[in-house]
Amino acid sequence: MIREAAIRFEGARVVYPNGAVGLASVDLSIAPGEFVVVVGSSGAGKSTLLRAVNGLTPLSAGSVAVQGQPVPRSEGRALRRLRAQVGMIFQDFRITRRLTVMTNVLVGRVAHVPAWRAMLNLWPAADREIAFRALERVGITDKAWVRAGDLSGGQQQRVGIARALAQEPAIILADEPVASLDPVTTHQIMRDLVRINQELGITTVVNLHFLDLARRYGQRIVGLRNGEVVYDGRAESVTQEDFRHIYGRDPDAGDVLDGQAAR
Amino acid sequence: MSDAVTRPLRPARNWALIIGAVTAVTLMTWWSGRGIRFSLTELACNLPGGRRLLVESWPPEFSFFPRLLAPLLETLQIAVVGTVIGGILAVPVAVLAARNLTPGFLVWFVDRNFMNILRTLPDLFWAMLFAAAVGFGPIAGALALTVFTVAVISKLWSESLEAIDMGVPEAVRASGGSWLQMLQFGAIPQALPHYVSYALYAFELNVRASMILGLVGAGGIGMVLETQRSTFEYPRVTLIVLSVLVIVLIIEQVSESIRRRLI
Repeated sequence: MIREAAIRFEGARVVYPNGAVGLASVDLSIAPGEFVVVVGSSGAGKSTLLRAVNGLTPLSAGSVAVQGQPVPRSEGRALRRLRAQVGMIFQDFRITRRLTVMTNVLVGRVAHVPAWRAMLNLWPAADREIAFRALERVGITDKAWVRAGDLSGGQQQRVGIARALAQEPAIILADEPVASLDPVTTHQIMRDLVRINQELGITTVVNLHFLDLARRYGQRIVGLRNGEVVYDGRAESVTQEDFRHIYGRDPDAGDVLDGQAAR
Repeated sequence: MSDAVTRPLRPARNWALIIGAVTAVTLMTWWSGRGIRFSLTELACNLPGGRRLLVESWPPEFSFFPRLLAPLLETLQIAVVGTVIGGILAVPVAVLAARNLTPGFLVWFVDRNFMNILRTLPDLFWAMLFAAAVGFGPIAGALALTVFTVAVISKLWSESLEAIDMGVPEAVRASGGSWLQMLQFGAIPQALPHYVSYALYAFELNVRASMILGLVGAGGIGMVLETQRSTFEYPRVTLIVLSVLVIVLIIEQVSESIRRRLI
């Protein structure tokens, strides 16, 4: 029996209104439960690739399918239903600082509860339970009723992860999730993502800038350059030569978190 | 420090622009002053007339105060009703007029122009219109202030909404949220302190305006003011002006302290 791919790109192409090419022509298939790290220099199309999966950036040509369903190109009920199965984590956290941690996490439930309940903040007990479990999984249960803006950067990113988990998603997309964090917090957040992938079997795609993080935490590494997949392989077998090919230059100290050239 | 990099020269001031602007403002003021036949000598000659009015108006007739209580209360009630109803109606008007949140260009265009019309027509016009429609009295005043409040809050707040960070609203959409949920959890919380601040400001304006509205028969303290002024009861007029001044000062203090706490 052939297992349905969690995410499948076929001839996916994105051209922005200003003429810039986000994705040139991408064919890529990600199996359920995989932990994929996408690397590439800035402008290589990493964000575009992730944003195409949940339709935040619609394709100009080709197709992308999530669990066999094609991603609709326009806003509407069908796209919202698909997005409900796909959690997203952002570099700048994107949580509402003025609201409590709990409310931010419950935003992950908006697509699962009747609209009037979300509107009146009358969340069903079952959904509150899901939100609490999501907070437990990232270890910030005690912060549930704190204003999100009062937390540290690492804690705010955990709120972002908990919001994604509260969706009970099939897929998690993380767009440079550690780029605004310090090295210690970076490793904690990466370990959280790996643990969630292993414990819950959620397909995870993470964009990373740092090569050492990619090699350390990724199972599979996909390299993007100018909107094309130029590398796709196991993390343990990726070589310095491969990175040179992906980046179009020699990796230097700026490309690794720990400040030393990747070996 | 001989090997220091050359410091850039301070750019020359644009003297032509400065002189031009000062000249333009001067000429415009001189031209306008001539147009309204403003003359310092005439002003000096007429000063005794103004002095006579002030002397006749002093001291205020404090024994008249009991008869002001009911109209003063009515003024406040008119302002409260106008601010609350207008404040609620202003929310959709402001949201649809914010370029980053509006669902479509046509809606935005129609709403923008609607807002401009509301703002262009003076509150006295609305008071006369509603007095004709529902009869002279406080209802007409409250309706006029409702329109005035919508005009004030929607204009100011739509600009605050346009300045919010669109990252969080996008994150809500990425979780499968609808347009309304994007507003509720992503957009509006960011601009809520501004909304409260503008609503309090509108309330202050409304208490002041309800004094003027009475002149066209729209209820409140203004109607008493108009009767006393037309019968040359200047000490009573002084008392009315003083009591409104005190009320406005109190409201200003209270709303200022609320506003400070919000930020």
